[in-house]
Amino acid sequence: MSWNVIFFYALAAISLLAAVGIVIAKNPVHSAIFLVLTLFNTAGIFVMLGAEFLAAAQVIVYAGAALVLMLFLLMLVDPQALPQRGGGHPIQRIVGPLLGVILFLEVGAAIANRAIVGGLGNASPENIALVGGSTQAVGNLLFTQYLLPFEIISLVLLVGVAGAIVLALPERLGERLGTISLGHPRGTDMALPEGPSTAAPRTRADERATAALEATREIILVDDPDLYTGGRGDTRQSTVKITRN
Amino acid sequence: MAELTTNHFLFLSAALFVIGLMGVLVRRNLLIMFMCVELMMNSVNLSLIAFARETNTMFGEGFALFTIAVAAAEAAVGLAIILALSRRSHSVDADEFHALRD
Amino acid sequence: MEQPIWLTFIVAFIFMNVLLVGMAYMTWYERKVLAAMQDRVGPNRVGWKGLLQPLADGVKLLGKEDLIPANADKIVFFFAPLIVFVVAITRVAVIPFGSISINIFGQSINLWITDLNVGALFLLAFGSLGVYGIILGGYASANRYSLLGGLRSAAQVISYEIILGLSLVGIFLISSSLSIRTIMEDQMRELTFAIGPLTFTLPNWYILSQPMAFVIFFLAAVAETNRAPFDLPEAETELVSGFHTEYSAFRFSFYFLGEYINMIVVSLFAATMFLGGIDGPGADRFWGIGILWLLLKVILFLFFYIWLRGTLPRFRFDQLMGIAWKVLLPLVLVNILITALIRLIGQGQLSF
Repeated sequence: MSWNVIFFYALAAISLLAAVGIVIAKNPVHSAIFLVLTLFNTAGIFVMLGAEFLAAAQVIVYAGAALVLMLFLLMLVDPQALPQRGGGHPIQRIVGPLLGVILFLEVGAAIANRAIVGGLGNASPENIALVGGSTQAVGNLLFTQYLLPFEIISLVLLVGVAGAIVLALPERLGERLGTISLGHPRGTDMALPEGPSTAAPRTRADERATAALEATREIILVDDPDLYTGGRGDTRQSTVKITRN
Repeated sequence: MAELTTNHFLFLSAALFVIGLMGVLVRRNLLIMFMCVELMMNSVNLSLIAFARETNTMFGEGFALFTIAVAAAEAAVGLAIILALSRRSHSVDADEFHALRD
Repeated sequence: MEQPIWLTFIVAFIFMNVLLVGMAYMTWYERKVLAAMQDRVGPNRVGWKGLLQPLADGVKLLGKEDLIPANADKIVFFFAPLIVFVVAITRVAVIPFGSISINIFGQSINLWITDLNVGALFLLAFGSLGVYGIILGGYASANRYSLLGGLRSAAQVISYEIILGLSLVGIFLISSSLSIRTIMEDQMRELTFAIGPLTFTLPNWYILSQPMAFVIFFLAAVAETNRAPFDLPEAETELVSGFHTEYSAFRFSFYFLGEYINMIVVSLFAATMFLGGIDGPGADRFWGIGILWLLLKVILFLFFYIWLRGTLPRFRFDQLMGIAWKVLLPLVLVNILITALIRLIGQGQLSF
């Protein structure tokens, strides 16, 4: 039992357990944490397969940026919006795993009975080490043979960024008050995601106190924080005042 | 069992793919379904790289790099869609969105 | 040169302990230097010139009561500071403290723990993983201010991470390698250039070839370790101390010390990539002198960190993000472009 085999089984076991954890976790934030674990262990398996650049790229891009974006979204989603446990069609919970197991058996049979078609290429581990490592080999491939897809990918990413901004913009300015804005003073009043409970029971004294305050509070929306300098005599065009009655 | 062959990696990739598939079919929270789709893409990357190592070519690694880039763009756009949906109907339950079907 | 693995573990253990002691004394150094800048004395009661102060701080922090908020998510609350701490220490595994193998008791020992051929990417990747400690710490605290502080800090760290990585691409273009030891050895060669009849010979330190990248790297490093003037998410006067509000005693010390270890590791990284690491007069004669030069450069960088903290007011969050995306990112892309052009012209592959 060489170290390679032991490492493979350890990494594979943790990946599989974390993957099962994604599917059965009650709290979506726990699912995201399990997904980070799975991606990190899969990156370890990539290193075993000699693709160390891809392992680092997966951790930096996938686990380090795309999943952070997902965690941001999880924190910003309204907690009343999460689906109730036990709702939906209960038949899903039987048919889903059944189909999954059948698919796994089919793919397993295909893997066990496969044969390689065509010959071997020339990027053996010795040749890759000659070029200078996996990074140089992938770079050679990307910049000579796959240059056009490389440029198209940059366009895809640009369109993705522009599309994400357009889709996530609120339709009316008033709707912007409906999200937790990281810089807006009123944003801190929104309810927070489920899990750690954030509401202590409100007493009548609390309600009377906040009602008095809320009746006279002004909400000021500006597009450039440097223009608004506070004070009641500010009559610049760029500020919009909404007063609650 | 004492020697690592490519089939080991392919079985692991198939298992991760199937677990992701089961997650998409069973869970109704859009965000968790999205995470399971990402898991499926990751398992495909694993099998691509296993094949690249077996046939001594580099195409698998290049393809996997493109898959990671496309998955990042897809994460941005998909999550923006989920955010817009959740704002409109105040729910991320997949069963609530059947307007196109009806 | 395959050295037995137990030897690598011993070297790693020594490096880790040196790093932890360095982190403890970094707190003393910061308090003394800040005090000097603010015209006061700093710790001087515990031990000679206050040198036992970190020990006293440690004992105090260990003795404090460990409070967990009632509604906190207990498992995530437990793990979040550990992620920051462990990830920061692991990063030191790829930094070389020498470029040769020395002979002690008949064993040939390398002066580095590992020499990964994607060492620089390893450092950047583990820096990306450190963001999770911040977000999960803010989430698990069951406190809306902690959550907002955590999200703000995470947004800041991932923005400046991009700039940190891109500022190193110029160096990767020049030295054609991602391995930190190779980059350090490339800097020990000589750079000769001539102005008229005079020829100068300087060491090939990349701060001379990539000055703009050096400045951008340092700014991005200060922002990424959440230090002043970029420390809005965790300052005590903002958002009630941000994502580590609810952490007390030893858990808080994990965050606090994790930040200091990140500072030390990033200073080691900058010293190795831009200032030549162990390069200096006398480093080729005895390996200990090389380590002393590296230590000197790291202390210089840490002094810059503390100097920035003591002098500048902190940025507002939108100003912070504006600097990253509107100023530093275009500059770093221009740097890559210029470096690539000069390299192609120098190799004669570009004809007009």
